[in-house]
Amino acid sequence: MALGLLAVSAAAPFVLLALWSVGRDWFYPAVFPPKFTAESWRDLLSGERLLGATATSLVLGAGTGAFACIAGLPVGRSLARLTGWRRHAGAALAFLPVAAPPIALATGLQFSFLRLGLGGTLVGVLLAHAVPAIGYGSLYFLGVFAVFDSRIEEESRSLGATSRQTFFHVVLPLLRRPLADAFALGFLVSWSQVPLTLLVGGGPVRTLPIEVFSLVQSGQDRLAATGALLLLVPAIAALAATRLAASRTEVMAV
Amino acid sequence: MRGGGWAAALVATPVAVGVTYSLAAATGLAGYGAGGFTLDRVERVLGEAAVWESFLWTVRTAALATLIAGAAAVAAAVGFRGSSALDRTARALAVLPLPVPHLIAATTAVLVLGQSGLLSRIAASAGWLAGPADMPALVYDRGGIGLILMLGWKEFPFLALVAFSVLATRGAALEDTARSLGAGPWQRFRRITWPVLWRGLAPAAVAVFAFAAGSYEAAALLAPSDPQALPVLTLERYTDPDLARRGDAFVLTLLALALAAGAVLLHEWLRHRVERLDR
Repeated sequence: MALGLLAVSAAAPFVLLALWSVGRDWFYPAVFPPKFTAESWRDLLSGERLLGATATSLVLGAGTGAFACIAGLPVGRSLARLTGWRRHAGAALAFLPVAAPPIALATGLQFSFLRLGLGGTLVGVLLAHAVPAIGYGSLYFLGVFAVFDSRIEEESRSLGATSRQTFFHVVLPLLRRPLADAFALGFLVSWSQVPLTLLVGGGPVRTLPIEVFSLVQSGQDRLAATGALLLLVPAIAALAATRLAASRTEVMAV
Repeated sequence: MRGGGWAAALVATPVAVGVTYSLAAATGLAGYGAGGFTLDRVERVLGEAAVWESFLWTVRTAALATLIAGAAAVAAAVGFRGSSALDRTARALAVLPLPVPHLIAATTAVLVLGQSGLLSRIAASAGWLAGPADMPALVYDRGGIGLILMLGWKEFPFLALVAFSVLATRGAALEDTARSLGAGPWQRFRRITWPVLWRGLAPAAVAVFAFAAGSYEAAALLAPSDPQALPVLTLERYTDPDLARRGDAFVLTLLALALAAGAVLLHEWLRHRVERLDR
C-alpha cells in the first residue's frame, strides 16, 4: 500500500499535467475532461511563444551546465585537498550561493549587472544562473574528489607524465560520469530558475519557466499545463540519463 | 590560505557582492534617493509588523514542510531498507521526483488543491461539497497548508535519498550486534536506528529548510497575500511603484541572506559533528 502511495505520488505530476494539457471544456465539477484537444500542443509546435522560450532555456541550460563543470571541478578538487575545519569552512563558502534564496541573490546583484550593461541580456542571465550552479558544481566535485583515489595520479607522475598530461589523459577520462552528472545538475539549476531570470533578464529574456509561471498566474490552465510538461520531461530525462543508481549520489548526499 | 580556500571564496564572491550592495542600499549609501549613511530605513522596515509576520510565517511554513518530508523519509528508509525487488522499487520511486522543479510541483498543487481543483471536484462528485465555494481553502490560505504539502512533497525525494544512504552505510553493524544481544525491533529502532538516522539526516534537513524558505515561485503561486511569504514580499517592495519604498527590499534581502547563512553554518557544523561520529 505504501508502495502504491509512492507510485501515485511520483506519477501524479506527469499524469495530471498531461490530462490538463489536453482536456477541453473541462469545467467544474467534472473529474475527467469530457473532450480532448491537441490544440495547445499544436500551438506549441507551430507557435512562437513556448517554442522560443524553450530554445532560450536550452541554451541557458547548456551554458550553465558547462559552468558547473568547468568551474566546479577545479574548485571542488582544491576543496577536497583541505582537511578538517578548513574543508568545512570552504564547503560553507561554496554552499552560500546554493542556499541563498535566488530572489535575494537577484535583488543584491541586479545593480551590478546593470552597471556592467548585462541587464536584460542573455549573457547576463547566463552569468546569473552560473552563480548558484558553480556552487552546486563545487560541492558536487568536492564529494567526488573526497573519495577519488589520487594514487593513480601519483603513478602517472612517477611514470614521467607532467601534471597537464596526467590531468587530461588520466584523471579526466575517469571523470566522464561525474562530469555528465555535474552538467545535468547545472542544467537543472538554470532550467527551473525563475527569480534570477525575472530580475536580471527583465522583460526581454523569456525562458520556459517564466512563461509557465505567468500562464499559471493568469489562470490559463491548459497552456500552463502544456508548458509545465515541456518543462518537466527534460528534467527527468536529464537526470535519468546520467545517474540512475542511488549509490552514485551517496558520495554527494553524505 | 591554501588553494581550496581561495577557490571557495571566489565561488562565494557574488554573494558577497550582493550583501555589500544590499547593505549600501539599505543604509542610504546607494540606490534611489540615497542621502548618506542612515539607519532610518533599516529601523523602519525591521519595525514593521508585516515584515516580522512575513519572516516568521515563512520560517514556520518551511519548518513544517521539512518536518513532514523528514518524517516521510525516515518511514520510507526504515520501511524499505531491504534488498528485495519491492524494497528497491519503492526506493527508486521515492527518489524519482527529485529533479521536478519547484515551479512544476507548485503548478500541479494549484491544479489539484485549488478551490475548483481536482480534489474539490472529486469531493463534489462524491457529494461532500455543493460547489467550489465549499472547498476549504488549501491555497492562498493563512495556514499555508497547500504550500506546506507541496514543499513537503518536493523535498521528500532528497531527504529520502539521504536517509537510504545513511541506513545503508552506517549502523548496520551496530544493529546486528544489538540483535544478537537480544534487543527487540522497537529497542533497536529507538537506541540505534533512529539516532543514526537523525544525525545523518540533520544536515540535509537544514539544507532543505533553506531551500523551502527561499523558494519564490512556490510561494508566489500558493501562499496567501497576508501574511506574505518573505520572497514574495521582497519582490513586491523591489518593484514598488513608489520608488522610495524600493530600498526596503534590500533590508529584506539581508534578512533572507542572514537566514541562509545561518542555515549554511548550521549545516556544516552538523556535518562536522556527524563525521566525528564516523571515526
